[in-house]
Amino acid sequence: MSRGSENGDTLERFIASAPQPQRMGMRVLAALRRRPRGRSMLEHAPALNQLAQMIASLGHYDDPGVAEALGWDGAAVVARGKALRRAEGRP
Amino acid sequence: MSGARTERVEADVCVVGAGAGGAVAAAELAEGGSNVVLVEEGHWHDPDSFTASPTEMLARLYREAGQTMTVGAPPILLPLGRGLGGTTLVNSGTCFRTPPRVLERWEREFGLELDEQGLRAFFERVEQALSVSEVTPQLAGGNAAVARRGAEALGWSHGYLSRNARGCVGSGVCAFGCPTSAKQHTGITYVPRAERAGARIVTGAWVERVLLRSGAGGSKGRTARTGRGTASSTSPPRRAALERAIGVSARMASGARLEVRAPTVIVAAGTIHTPLLLARSGIGAGSGQLGRNLSLHPATAVFARMADTVDMAKGVPQSFYVDEFAREGVIFETVAGPPAYAAMSLPLTGARHAEAMADYRRLAQCGVMVSDSSRGSIYSVGGRALIRYDLADADVERFRIGLARVGELFEAAGAREVYLPLPEGVSPGKTRRRDLKLMAFHPLGSARADARPSKGVVDGDLRAHGTRGVYVADGSVVPSSLGVNPQMTIMALATRLAFALAGRDISATGHVRVAA
Repeated sequence: MSRGSENGDTLERFIASAPQPQRMGMRVLAALRRRPRGRSMLEHAPALNQLAQMIASLGHYDDPGVAEALGWDGAAVVARGKALRRAEGRP
Repeated sequence: MSGARTERVEADVCVVGAGAGGAVAAAELAEGGSNVVLVEEGHWHDPDSFTASPTEMLARLYREAGQTMTVGAPPILLPLGRGLGGTTLVNSGTCFRTPPRVLERWEREFGLELDEQGLRAFFERVEQALSVSEVTPQLAGGNAAVARRGAEALGWSHGYLSRNARGCVGSGVCAFGCPTSAKQHTGITYVPRAERAGARIVTGAWVERVLLRSGAGGSKGRTARTGRGTASSTSPPRRAALERAIGVSARMASGARLEVRAPTVIVAAGTIHTPLLLARSGIGAGSGQLGRNLSLHPATAVFARMADTVDMAKGVPQSFYVDEFAREGVIFETVAGPPAYAAMSLPLTGARHAEAMADYRRLAQCGVMVSDSSRGSIYSVGGRALIRYDLADADVERFRIGLARVGELFEAAGAREVYLPLPEGVSPGKTRRRDLKLMAFHPLGSARADARPSKGVVDGDLRAHGTRGVYVADGSVVPSSLGVNPQMTIMALATRLAFALAGRDISATGHVRVAA
């Protein structure tokens, strides 16, 4: 499984956990953003375009490869946390 | 009930909710010798399962993946934690005592005898338990340094925030599960203390109602209306003065049922869900205030692109404040997070968004939080919470001030570009209600304390008016906006309640003050 599809699964779990109105809205916006015509429609609705941007951003920038290129290594942060907890007997 | 197995347990006190109020009350009562059962809807989240991924952790640690929204103008995102620790599991750990001017207002307007002197020992006890101390400049990181530079250039009052953290290394993901367990949330502090003192902790249990017995004898077979109405109106009280708590009934995630028999029940399900539970139980409706008076501390955030590297997620995300405009109801607190978090909140679209994110390491962010005069209501719709909240004109004006001033702060710090969360072409001074993109983290007041039964749901001792044996210990009792992060206020009030119920004297505990 590629990192991209893992990330897609994570985003889908996030959307699935949201309350119903937001869930439906996010799925519609994500679908619109995937299509050229949908993107063009969104450009005429700035507030919806911003929401669509938020959803797409969450998926894209949570990809470890993308985040690492921006100086953020989440895996290293987690590993350091685990090591500290083990070494110091933290919960 | 459909043949489901019912487990029955007995206790002196049943506490509903393991967040800032419930966990504290449970631990202090158990340590005081009470037989306590703590019932929590969520679960224990093992730090080994934390991944620092915002997308993943929002879905796991937050109620509704952090997507709870208010209905109103404008809609406001209201993320709420769920699990042992409640919202303390996912907050930034910022600690403020209740401002003295707020306590004075409570005495004047709500008849609450909660002065600074009387609460001091309770605050000190909580601060000691949670290792509260001020963030150092080194740990605060580059994002705080930007805000500090701006505040110093402008001569604005500012400082580093105090937090409940021990051994923090600045992982930058407080809101997504602290990977080092440095943040002293109640799930790893007060809950274990309660357990060590003999309390029984039940997770995955949703409390349906507080069980009451009328003076005439026998449990009440009351049926709450489920139609739309404020929490107050869903179940009018009958013979309220004669009723007293005998426990709670809950539904377990497994489908089994749980009945806790206890003469004292402390409801601490949080500001959004406490009024719904009280209403389902027919408690607290006498004043007409249940589910009303909701304040939120609505907030927004401004980004800036700096000349030098900031690396906002390296350091404590919320570590620095500017309180120059606190008297006007506006406070600034730095906020930060990993790229996915920043990208989600950056107020740009398309190519501009991508270009700014490509320069993520130079982005800085600062939040604007408003001490709101707006008030909302919580309704029960089909058993779910519907939160209605419209931003009042006075609070729109506070955002105008806040956005303009944070823009100045970043410019004084040397920002190359400032990204305000406003539609293109709208300046802070011309901001309308619908232009604002808001979040809120501090719901308060939906079961407010007031000494008068006609004005509040609980009295100054957090005892439900009109019902014996029922107390409330969460943000819902806080009767007004605080202007600062509320977890310490909630915890100090819960400690005070626990000491009063156990007949303990705070001055006899020998706690020592922890230096900041």
